[in-house]
Amino acid sequence: MSVDNPAGTPRTIGAFGPAPTTGRPAPRPPRDYLPRGREGLLLVTLAILVLAAGFGSHGAFWSRVNLDNLLVGSAITLIPAIGMTVVILTGGIDVSTGSMLGLCTAIGGTCFAAGWSIAATIPVFLLSGAAFGLINALLIINGRIPPVIATLGTLSIYRMFVFIVLGGNWITQIPPALTMIFVVDHLAFLPVVAVIALVLLAAGMVFLRYFRWGRHVYALGNNEEAARLAGIKPERIKLAAYVMLGLLTGLAALLTLGQSPMAQTSTGSGFVLQVIAAVVLGGTALSGGRGTLLGTLLGTLIVQVVDDAIVLLHIQPFWGGVALGAVILASIGAGAKREAMETR
Amino acid sequence: MHASGFERTRPVLLLAMAVLALLGFAIGHPAILSGANLSSMAVFGVEIGMIALGQTFVICGGDTGIDLSVGATMALSQVILGRLLHGGLPWPVAVGGALASGLALGGVNAAAVSRFRIPPIIATLATLFAYDGLALVVTGGVNIDLTKSPPAFLAIGQGTLAGLPFQLLALYLPLLAVFAFVQHGTRYGRALYLTGTNDRAATLAGVRVARVRGWAYVAAGLVAAIAGVVSAARLGTARPDAGAQANLISIAIVVLGGTGIFGGTGSVIGTAMATVVIAIVDYGLSYNDFNPIYQAGVIGTILIAVILIETPFVAWRARRPRA
Amino acid sequence: MPTPSSPRVEVSGIRKRFGGVTALGGVDLSIGRGEVHALLGENGAGKSTLIRVLTGAIMPDEGEIRIDGAPRRFAHPRDAQAAGIAAVYQEPMIYPHLTVLENIFTGNEIASAAGIVRRQEMAEAALPWFDRLELDPALLHRRMGELSLGYQQLVLIAKALVQDAQVIIFDEPTSILSQAETDRLFTIIGRLRADGRSIVYITHRLDEIRRISDRVTVLTDGRVTGSAAADDLDEERLLDLMAGKAHRDYGKPREDRRIANDADPALRIEKLTRAGLYDGVDWSIPPGTVTGVYGLVGSGRSEVALAAFGALPADSGRVLLHGRPISPRDPAQAIALGIGYLPEDRKLQGIFATKPLEANLTVSTLDRFLRAAMRLDFAALRGEAARLIAHYRIKARDETVAIGTLSGGNQQKALFARWAGQSLKVLILDEPTRGIDIGTKAEIHDFIRSLAAGGLAVVVISSDLPEVLAVSDRVIVMRRGTVVQVAEGEAMQAETILAAAVGAAARAA
Repeated sequence: MSVDNPAGTPRTIGAFGPAPTTGRPAPRPPRDYLPRGREGLLLVTLAILVLAAGFGSHGAFWSRVNLDNLLVGSAITLIPAIGMTVVILTGGIDVSTGSMLGLCTAIGGTCFAAGWSIAATIPVFLLSGAAFGLINALLIINGRIPPVIATLGTLSIYRMFVFIVLGGNWITQIPPALTMIFVVDHLAFLPVVAVIALVLLAAGMVFLRYFRWGRHVYALGNNEEAARLAGIKPERIKLAAYVMLGLLTGLAALLTLGQSPMAQTSTGSGFVLQVIAAVVLGGTALSGGRGTLLGTLLGTLIVQVVDDAIVLLHIQPFWGGVALGAVILASIGAGAKREAMETR
Repeated sequence: MHASGFERTRPVLLLAMAVLALLGFAIGHPAILSGANLSSMAVFGVEIGMIALGQTFVICGGDTGIDLSVGATMALSQVILGRLLHGGLPWPVAVGGALASGLALGGVNAAAVSRFRIPPIIATLATLFAYDGLALVVTGGVNIDLTKSPPAFLAIGQGTLAGLPFQLLALYLPLLAVFAFVQHGTRYGRALYLTGTNDRAATLAGVRVARVRGWAYVAAGLVAAIAGVVSAARLGTARPDAGAQANLISIAIVVLGGTGIFGGTGSVIGTAMATVVIAIVDYGLSYNDFNPIYQAGVIGTILIAVILIETPFVAWRARRPRA
Repeated sequence: MPTPSSPRVEVSGIRKRFGGVTALGGVDLSIGRGEVHALLGENGAGKSTLIRVLTGAIMPDEGEIRIDGAPRRFAHPRDAQAAGIAAVYQEPMIYPHLTVLENIFTGNEIASAAGIVRRQEMAEAALPWFDRLELDPALLHRRMGELSLGYQQLVLIAKALVQDAQVIIFDEPTSILSQAETDRLFTIIGRLRADGRSIVYITHRLDEIRRISDRVTVLTDGRVTGSAAADDLDEERLLDLMAGKAHRDYGKPREDRRIANDADPALRIEKLTRAGLYDGVDWSIPPGTVTGVYGLVGSGRSEVALAAFGALPADSGRVLLHGRPISPRDPAQAIALGIGYLPEDRKLQGIFATKPLEANLTVSTLDRFLRAAMRLDFAALRGEAARLIAHYRIKARDETVAIGTLSGGNQQKALFARWAGQSLKVLILDEPTRGIDIGTKAEIHDFIRSLAAGGLAVVVISSDLPEVLAVSDRVIVMRRGTVVQVAEGEAMQAETILAAAVGAAARAA
C-alpha cells in the first residue's frame, strides 16, 4: 500500500488525512458545441421537415406570412412548454393547461371588454394563471392526488368556469394594440412573441443548468428519497414548478389573444396535447429526471412545422396526425433503446 | 377481502351517493323521477358505462395502464358501421364489422403497450390522434345519416324491452355480468389483479403479463365499439366526433368506482355504481339546463372530492387495530 | 488499531418503536477512533433502524447520542452530516441521470451567493479524494447510472470524504461487489482506519468480520446481545452470539448426505454463457437430492437459474431437462415444463403484498381449480390454501389476510408452499432463508430435505455457507460467473468451499 504525497505536505497519521491541494486543475467536462444525441437527431429531423415543407409547397413555406405564423404559433406553444418541462422533470404532469389557457383568456378578455388597458390586464393574466397552477399544486402535494387524476379533474372544472365567465358568449373587444405589439411588430426579424419566448427559454436553460435550484429539479426527478435526505425540499420545488407552469400559461393566454383576438368557450381545447407532445418529443422522460429545454424547443418546432406543412401541402389532416404520431413513437422507441443500453 | 378480490366499501359509498343525488334532484324537480326521465338517464349511462367497463380492466392491469383512445375508438367504429350500412350490407354484418374494428383498434393499443413497451399514456394518445383522424377521413368530415336504416337496427338504440331501454337490458347488463364474472370468477381476472399489484412477481410466478394486459386493451376497444353502435342507432347518425368526452368521463368513473389508478384493486361492480352516480348527476344537470361543459366540470369536482375525502379515511382505517 | 482515548461515537439507551413494534429496545454502542466496528445481526434485528438513527433519518424515542463526548441531536440528516457521519448503503442511493460530480455534491453544492453552481471548484474539491481512492478523474463527468455498482459505491465513499466524514457507515457493501472490488474496498477501509476515522461495518459474512474488523457487536431483536474484540472470537462464538438459542444444530453439516448418481440428472446446464454475467457454466442436478450453489453475490448464480427458468435468456449453451434440450420463452413455459424458481427478493419479486394469502399461494396453480367454463372453484382454492397453511405451519389468522401483514419468515414459507404444492421436476430456491429468524430457517431446511426425499431435484442458491453445508448433498461453487468447484463427500468442507468461492489466496492479511 503506497502512500501518495504529491503536494509534499507533511502528514501525521494515515493515508488520507485532510485533503491537500494537488496542484493541478480538475478535468473540465467535455464541451459539446454541437448538440449531440437526441437533440442532434431532432435538429436533423427538423431540418429535413423544413426542407421538405419548403420544397413541397413550392416555396410557399418560406413566405413572410407563413414563417411569421409558424413562429407565433411556436412561441405560444413553447412558453407553457417550458413550464411543462420542469413539471415533468420533477416526475409530475399537468393536463389542465388547455383549460387553464381558456380560463385566463376569458378572465383577461372580460377585463379588456370592460375597457382595461393592456398594461393593467397583463398582471391579471399572470396572476390568474399562477393561481390556477397553485390550485393544481395544492391538490397534488397536499391532497396527495396523483397528478394525472388531479389535473384531469381541474381540466374540466376550469373549462366549466370558462363557460361561466363568458356566459356562453364570445369576447371580441380585444385591443388591437395587443396584436400589433406582440404579433405584428418585429424585433430582429422575429415577431415579438417569438423574442419573448426565446428570452424565457434562455432564462429557463440558464436556470436549469447553472443554478443550484435548477439542479435540484433534476435531483428530485432522479431520486426523490435521496434528494429529501440530502436536504432538498421536494414539496417546495414541485409547488414552484406547477405555479410557474400556470404563470407561463397565463402569459400564453395573453399572447393567444394577440394571435387571434377572440375569447370563446372552446379556447385552448387540445392545446395541452400540443404542449405535452412537444415536451415528450424533445426527450423529456415522463418518469422525470431527464430532459432538456433545448429538446423542448426542437420538439415544439417540429410539431408546428408538421402542422403547418399539413395545411400548405394540402395533406389530409389524418395523414399529418399519423406522421406526427409516428415521429413521436419513433422518438420514444429510440429513447427507450438508449435507456436500455445505458442501464446495466 | 373476499377470495374473488371484491372489496365492499366503495360500492356502498357510491350507492349512498346515487341515492342522495337522485333525491337531491327530485326535491327540485319531482318530475325527474318519471319513467321517461329515468329511461333517458339509463340510456345515457349505458354508453359511457360500457366504455368504463373496458377502462376498468386496463387500469386494473397496472403499470400506469390507461386508454385515452376510447372515445376515438367509439367514433371510428361508429363511422365504419355507417359506411358499411350505406354500402348496402345487411345491418347485422355491418354491426359485426364495427365490432371487429373495435377489436382491431384495441389490438393496436395492446401491441403498442405490450409488445413495443410504449408507455400507455403516449401510445393511446397517439392512437387517439390516429383514430380521430381516420374517422374524419372515412366520413369526409360530415355525419353519416342513418335514419333510413332498418328499424331492427335502430331498435338497438331506440327500442324497449319489457318497458326498459333495449340497450340497458339486452346489452349493458349482460356485458356487466360478463365483465364481473371475468374479473372475479376466472383465472384471467385473478391474473389481472396480480399483474396490477406486482408485475415482476407475476411474471416469475408464471403469469403472462404482456398477454394479460394486452387483452384488457382489446376488451376496451370492443366495448367502445359496442358503445359506438348503440349511440349510432340511438341518434340515427354516425358522427366522427362521437365520444369526445369519453376519455375524461370513463377514467373519472373508473377511479370514482374504486379502482386505484396504479392498478391491482377495484371492481367493475364499483365502476357500474359510479356509472349510475355519474349518469344521475349528468342527467340531472342537463335536465336543469346545464350543458355538457357543466356536466364535465361537476364530474371533475366529484372525482377530486372523493379522493380528497377518501385518502385520510383509508389511512385512519389502516391505523385502527384489527379485531 | 483502536486508540485508548475517548470513543468517537457513543450511543446509549436508544429506543425506537414503530406503531406497536419495538425496533430498538435500548441499544448501547461505542465506537472508537480509527476503529472498524462490525455490526452483526439478522434482518429485522434492528440494524437498519439503528443506522437511520445515527444518520439522522429518524429520531429515537429515547436515548442519547454522543459525538466526541458531546451530546448531539439529529433532527434531520443534515445534522448528522454536520457531525461528520456518512453512510454508504447496500443499494446505492444515487441520481442515475446526473453526473458523478453532481451525485457527490447535490444538496451541498459549492455555489455563489446568487445560487450559481461552481462546477470547477467542486471538481477541484473532489479531485484529491479521487486520487486517494485511485479513481480516474474523468469519471467526474460521466453519468452515474453508467457506472458499475462497485464504482458507484466508490463515488459514494468519495462523497463521504468530501464532506469530511469522520464516521462512515457501510451497510453490507460487499453484497454487490466482485472479489476484486471487495479487496479494493478493504484496502480503502484500511486506509480510512489508519487515518483515524471510525468505520461501522454491517455484514453477516463471518469471513469478512475476521478480515477487517477490530470489534464486533451483535444485535438481536433490537437489543445488543454481545460485543467483543474481533480477535477474541471464532466462528463458533460468533454464531453463538448471533443465534442465541437455537444455533447448536444450525450449520452442522448433514450426516445423511445422499450420494449423487450423475448418470441421469434432472437438470443439466451445459456451457451456458451470457456476456458480462456468466461464462461456460456447467451444472448437473440429480433428482432426489439437494444441490447447493454457493458463491458470493455477483458470482452469477441467480442469472444462471433465471436462464433455466426462461426469465433471462443466455447467449449460448444448452439447458436439458431429463436429457431433453429445452429453451423456455418465459417463466410460464418453464413452469409448464416442470421447473420452479423462488426469487431471492421476496418483497419485490415474490409476494403480492396487498393480496390475500390464498391468492399468493395459488397463483401458479390456478388452472387446477377450474370448474366448467373457466370458472374458478373458490371453495377448492380456499381448501388448498388451508392445506398448505397447515402443512407448512404458516402463522396467519386464515387464508384471507393480506400476505404483507405476515412476518418475513411466514411470507417465505408461503412462497415456498406456492412451489412445493406443484408437481415439479426441478425446484430452484434463491436465498431461501435470507432475512429470516433461525427457527424458521430450520423449518424451511426440513421442508427442503423432505422435498428432495420425495424425488424432486432441488437447487439451493445461497451466500450463507453454514446453510449450504447444512442442507446440501453436494455443492457447486461459483466465482465471478464460472463454476470453480463441485464439492461432494469428503471435499464438502467449509474451508475448501470458501477458498474456492473467494479465490486462490483465501485469507488475506
